[in-house]
Amino acid sequence: MSEEDALAQKLAALIASVEIDDSGARVISVDGEPAPITAILREVDDTVLERCLAFDCGDTTITVVAAGRRLRGIVNVTPQNDAEIIGQVISREEPEGVQAAFDLLQSLCADADKMTVRSLPSEPFGKGGERGISAKGLTELWGVTMDIIPKPPMDKFLSANAATFLSVLHVREGKVVSTSGDVKPLQQIWKSQVDDFRKAHAKMVRGEERAQFVCLESAFDDGTSAALALYENEIALVAYQGENFGKMQSSWQRIFN
Amino acid sequence: MVVDELDALRDKFEGCAALAFADLSTKMILVTDSGSNLRREALDALCAEAAFLLGANGTPALAEQPSDKASVTSPSQMRVFLRAEQEPNDVLCCICNSKLDADAFVADAGACLDRISGSE
Repeated sequence: MSEEDALAQKLAALIASVEIDDSGARVISVDGEPAPITAILREVDDTVLERCLAFDCGDTTITVVAAGRRLRGIVNVTPQNDAEIIGQVISREEPEGVQAAFDLLQSLCADADKMTVRSLPSEPFGKGGERGISAKGLTELWGVTMDIIPKPPMDKFLSANAATFLSVLHVREGKVVSTSGDVKPLQQIWKSQVDDFRKAHAKMVRGEERAQFVCLESAFDDGTSAALALYENEIALVAYQGENFGKMQSSWQRIFN
Repeated sequence: MVVDELDALRDKFEGCAALAFADLSTKMILVTDSGSNLRREALDALCAEAAFLLGANGTPALAEQPSDKASVTSPSQMRVFLRAEQEPNDVLCCICNSKLDADAFVADAGACLDRISGSE
């Protein structure tokens, strides 16, 4: 790892806020940010002394052994899983096992909405000389990038809710940076209503908040709803179905609070 | 009693900080929950925001038609504005913290508003 990479990684770790869930476990991936497999590798990369790392996603727990910033292997999976790689030390000399570990992890957690980690005392695993593979090495073997620069909050919000939104118009510093779905009605709002709305609303609430999410139910003639997300110099106009209100609010709160 | 309905709703949701029942035709807050200590100016601003977001004059704040439910969420606060089903000028203005279960709150707040509006 170059000094630049190491510095970037340290900075990313400092920027990222640590969230602890109700069980006391540390939250390391929410809404696929970062991808669960990346989150696992980051944890391995942060583990110097031998530890068991228990990753929870939904009802699944994956326990691995890591030491010296290397993944030694997958110790256990609950609910029970019959994959042969469980209990085996992974090694570059056995590429099939390395791939099997990746396939197992992906099948268990790739789509996880949330992943947490608990660091537990190590337990006997493999032979002393079997060191496993470094996290950095696994990113190359598995074709996973170490996504060390966090996405900007608005990008995170829009990607986390992409499936919920019917259409999106994302504007940064006055320029449209991305769109999805039928954006014609949103373009109309952007051109003719947003400035007036912001001025009038800001006057009412004595200034605009740095981050603000406005939802207006059934604001379109077809019964769908409109939302305006503001963050610093970014605006996102969104059309959504009213029943997704609570889901969007939770996501907004997780990202912007 | 309207205030009892508002107090019950506030008591049910820990994240609910203040509730106000307003009349959009006069743009006035009529009743607040008994624990609310909002000053007159804050109540006026809340009512003005409700009128603006719900399109009290028939003009939508954004998009194509006035809404019956609007919300503004900032990092520290969520304000929710609801219009009564039967009487469009009856509105419930809610100030909550941002850790609230939004779906559950809005469902209960809507039912509370309809009871208040219907009993007037």
